[in-house]
Formats: sequence, structure tokens, C-alpha cells
Amino acid sequence: MSADLGAPAERTGAPEAPLWSPVPLLQPGPTSVPGPRTPTPSVALAAAPAAAVAHASDRGARIAAVAIALAWHVAIGLPAVLAARADYAAPGVVLGGWVLVAVAGAVAGVRLLLGAALAPWPLAGLLLAVDAAVFAAVGERQLFAAANWVWGTLAWFFVLALWGRQVAGLVALLAAHALIALVAVLWHGPDTADLARYVMYAYGTSSLPVAVFAGSAAIVGLARQRAATAAAGHAIAAERAAAERGLRERRDRLTLAAAAAGRVLGELAAGQADPDDPEVQRRCVLAAARLRRLIAESDDVPDPLLHELRAAADLAERNGLPIDLVTIGSPPPLPVEIRRGLADPLTGLLADAQEWARLTVVSGPDEVVVSLVTPDRAGPESTGPPPGEHDDGPVQHLYERDGDIRWAQTRWRK
Amino acid sequence: MGADPVAEVTGERPIGVAIVDDHPVVVDGVRAWLATEPRLTVLATGDDPDEVLRAAPDADVVLLDLRLHGRMALGKLAELSAAGRRVVVYSEHTDPETMLAALDAGAVAFLAKHEGREHCVATVLAAASDRPYVPPALAGAMVGDPRPDRPMLSDKEREALLLWFQSMSKASVARRMQISEHTVKQYVDRARIKYTRAGRPAATKAALLARAIEDGLVRPEEIGIYRSHATYDRPTP
Repeated sequence: MSADLGAPAERTGAPEAPLWSPVPLLQPGPTSVPGPRTPTPSVALAAAPAAAVAHASDRGARIAAVAIALAWHVAIGLPAVLAARADYAAPGVVLGGWVLVAVAGAVAGVRLLLGAALAPWPLAGLLLAVDAAVFAAVGERQLFAAANWVWGTLAWFFVLALWGRQVAGLVALLAAHALIALVAVLWHGPDTADLARYVMYAYGTSSLPVAVFAGSAAIVGLARQRAATAAAGHAIAAERAAAERGLRERRDRLTLAAAAAGRVLGELAAGQADPDDPEVQRRCVLAAARLRRLIAESDDVPDPLLHELRAAADLAERNGLPIDLVTIGSPPPLPVEIRRGLADPLTGLLADAQEWARLTVVSGPDEVVVSLVTPDRAGPESTGPPPGEHDDGPVQHLYERDGDIRWAQTRWRK
Repeated sequence: MGADPVAEVTGERPIGVAIVDDHPVVVDGVRAWLATEPRLTVLATGDDPDEVLRAAPDADVVLLDLRLHGRMALGKLAELSAAGRRVVVYSEHTDPETMLAALDAGAVAFLAKHEGREHCVATVLAAASDRPYVPPALAGAMVGDPRPDRPMLSDKEREALLLWFQSMSKASVARRMQISEHTVKQYVDRARIKYTRAGRPAATKAALLARAIEDGLVRPEEIGIYRSHATYDRPTP
């Protein structure tokens, strides 16, 4: 017998099959399939690894910036300051400024490498104050010499102070720095060569820090983007793998179900089984219910809640209970405790069900209702929970028996 | 299943039914189901809607298998509904989208093939008098309708649909909601009538609506402005 997922359960048999007897052996409920799944938000999945990659990439740039600033300050600034200390207008101010910037720069560098927060604007204010003091204290002769260490070094400390912020802030600080230098140059009555030198110094000492600052920001952005793309790709691949696994499982179960249905149909066709035999009728009902459930499964990637319920339904059916599982819509991603609250009470009751069972799931983005209906048996409530409503955290439970049916419902609302 | 929906309209003439299905075993099965109801008579069967209707031009209700020769006959359904044919779609394709698409195309009702004789007979009887009948599978599709332009149902209508879908027993729904079975049916049917506003217009939808007004199921002033009446919840007397 052939059976593919698109074929109706009722048509898988020969015309003699009692599945189409005028009076159905059982009135099973409708099977239905969930609507198309909304695509998994891969971007959200990708955000965390992308941030990690961006962080790693940014760390490299931080180390480089701290190393440049401190190395320049110590290896180039310090010897020049010491060599020219006798020629300064106010040597104490220049040296003191150097020490202050060295200490502040070291603290900022360590905090930057540890990822701790800086106080960028107080630090920038301190640097600008030192800038002004040193320009005032170096004296005319050392204005454009290496001994005026603020020219070369300070811009790198601006970079540290404003790390990770908009480049406009850095440009503003460099502009302030250039303005202070201009005031100092003008104060000493410059000639044309001094002005030209000033422009050259201002430009030369600013361009590289700006380039490093902007470049590292761009690289971090790119790294983040690439990592996000890669992570999204992985998420899609994982989804596809899950879908393929789901399909494979479904095929396997279809093969099993088809074999069971085929056996009973074959026996009926060969006259070995009697359609009036209740046991044969029961086998037909079970095989039809199983095929119908398989046909109803159309979710691409198994939803954990539906997966649990299906597993419970399969188990109950293996114990000989004809069961219908009808799902409408796809449940939103739910925390495990809510999923448990929705599924566990019903799967527990399912183990106790007799004759037949109807399990339904209606899902929307902010509500999931699961219901189990079984025939009500006479006799005292032996195993079931007491009738009535109660809340288990965010999940509302409801049990009822009215003589005809036992009705259990769990409902989650956002 | 509530009050007899056709008592006053059948008259002497039995209701003529045409069955369109490409599987003889299904035709025979449905014919056997309908034979249990004396008010129904099957006039013609076949696998081509046009041929069947040529053979039985007076058929009151057409039972149409939505999948004919491997293709979904939604276009044919819309054509027949536009021409005023009362089409009850029955199909094993019970995914909510297909069911709602069939309603949008003008089907009077949608019946899942496995829903059984009782629902099949009730659906055909109701359809013959332009009255709604909502089997449980269709109730599930309506209550889970995710479309943004879906008809606005009141809380009671939604709850009645949901519980009917879950339990398949209007008596149990009535006990649960602490209302009468008749009122349960009214909530469910009113939800269905609201769906006559969805999709393209069809003569069958107009007929359903007209009959619903005549029966007092909905009020004329509710028509066309359902959204603003979404909270109107009181069952009509």
C-alpha cells in the first residue's frame, strides 16, 4: 500500500475497508495542522556571538591605543622633557604636567583594558588644562621643539579618554588643543614661518590619532556585522538540520503507521479479518488515528510543546488508546516551566484515559490553550485532580467532568 | 445539535444534493451517510463539478471535495459560490488556512472528511436553508485565525468556538459556560456570520447574512460595521 503525507488517511485503504462505514466506529475529531511558522528570529540569536566577536576585535585596538599613548609619552616625551628642563620658562609646570598625564593615562589605560568605565569628560578637561599649562610654561624657544611634549603625546591620550565614543568628540578635543596651541603661538608674536609650522604641527599630530580612532571603530563595526552574518547562517543551518531530522522522524513513523494500517487492510481484503469483530474495528480506528496525526504534522521545525504532546499521544496510542491531536497555530517560544505547566497535567491524565481522547492546542502569539477531553467514566474520582479552576503561576488549570466527558484545560496568557 | 434548522423551509420536496469527488469510495460513503436522513436525496455524483451540475441543475447543495485530481478547486468554489450555489466543502485538508480560504471563497460550510455522518448531515441540512453550521474543525480554524484582517469576534463568541472545538459537545460547552445549548449555538453561528464579511463578496454569503438577519441572529445595524460592534455580546432572543 502506498501512503504519502499528502494522501488522506481514509483513502489509504481498499474500498472494502470499514473506515468508511456509514456509521463511523468512532467519531474522531478533526485533525488540523499548524499555520506556517514565523521564521526564527535569527538576528536575535546572532546578536550575542556578534557582540563577543566585536568585543574581541575591540580589545586588540584598545591594547594598541594604550601602548601607543604610553610608549610615546615615556619613550619620546620623557627624554625630551628631561633634556630641555633647563630651558623651560617654568620647568616645574612642564614636568608636573608630564607626571600628571602619565598617571592619568596609566589609570585610564588600565581601566580601558579591563573594560571598566572611564569618566571621559573630566579626563579630557584635565588633559586640556595640562595642555594650556604646558604651552604657557614651555617658553618661546621650546614652543616647537620636542621638549614641548604636549604636541605629540596629548592627542593619543584624547583617544584613550574618548574610546568607543563618537569621533566628533575627539575632533572637538583636538580643535580645542589646536586653539590652545594657536593662542600660545600668537602670544609669542609669531612670524610667517611660525604660523606655517603651527599648521603643520596641528595637522600632523592630529591626523594619525583620528585615523586610528575612526579606523578601529570601523573595524569593530565590520567584525560585529560579519559575526552576526555568520551566526545567522549557523542558526539557519541548525534550523534546517532540525527540520530534516523532524522530516526523517516523521517518515519513519509513517512507515510504521502505514505498516500497521496495511496489515489490517490486507487481512480485511483477504477475508482473514472480520469487519464486525470489535478487535478489528479497534485496530482500524487506531491505524486511522495514527495516520491522521502524522498527516496533521506540518511544522517545519518541531516546537518543543507540540513535540512533548505528540510524544505523549504516541505513547498513549501504543497502549491502545485512539487519540486525536489537533493543533491550530504555532506556540510562541515559551520558558520551560510554562511549557511544563501546559503539558504535564494533561499528559498525566492521558495515561489514565480510556476509550478515546482528544487533545487540542490552539496557539496565538499571546495565548496558548491546551485541552484534553476523554469520556467520563462512572465511579469516584480516583486519580484525577479535583474539579475546578486553579492557577499554577502563569498557567491556568481547569478540570471538569460532567458525566459525558472529562475535560482538562491548561491556558497560558501573556 | 440544537434546533432543527430546516423544519420550516423544506416543504414537501426533499433537499437535492450533488456530490463532487474523484474517489468513488468517498462518494459511496457520503451517499450512505446522507441516506440516513429522509429529507435529503442525492441527485448526481461525479468528479467534474460542471458535469455533475449539468446532470442536477436543481441541486440545493453541492458537496465539493476541495482536492480534485490533485488540484485544489478553490477557483471553482469561488465561481460556484458567486453563481449562488450553496457549496459545502469537505476535505481532508483541514489546515486552518485552507478552511478559511474556502470560507473566503464563499463556501457555506467546511467539513473535515473525518468529522463523521452527524456533522455531514447537519451541515447539508443547514446549508440548504442558508443557515450556518460550524463543525468543530472549522471552529478551531476560526478561533485560531491569525490574519490581521480577521473578523472581530466577541470574547463570548471566541470562547464558545474554542470550547466547541475542544469538546465537540455543545451540551458540555453549555454546562461549562453556564448558558443554554441554544445560546452556545448562537455564539458559534454569529461568529460564522461575521465571516461572511471576509474575502470577496458572493451570493451565498449574502444569502447567509440575509437569513441570519431574518432569524434574528444578527441585527441589520450590525452589518458592515462589525468592528465597532465587536463587544456586543448579548445573544439575540
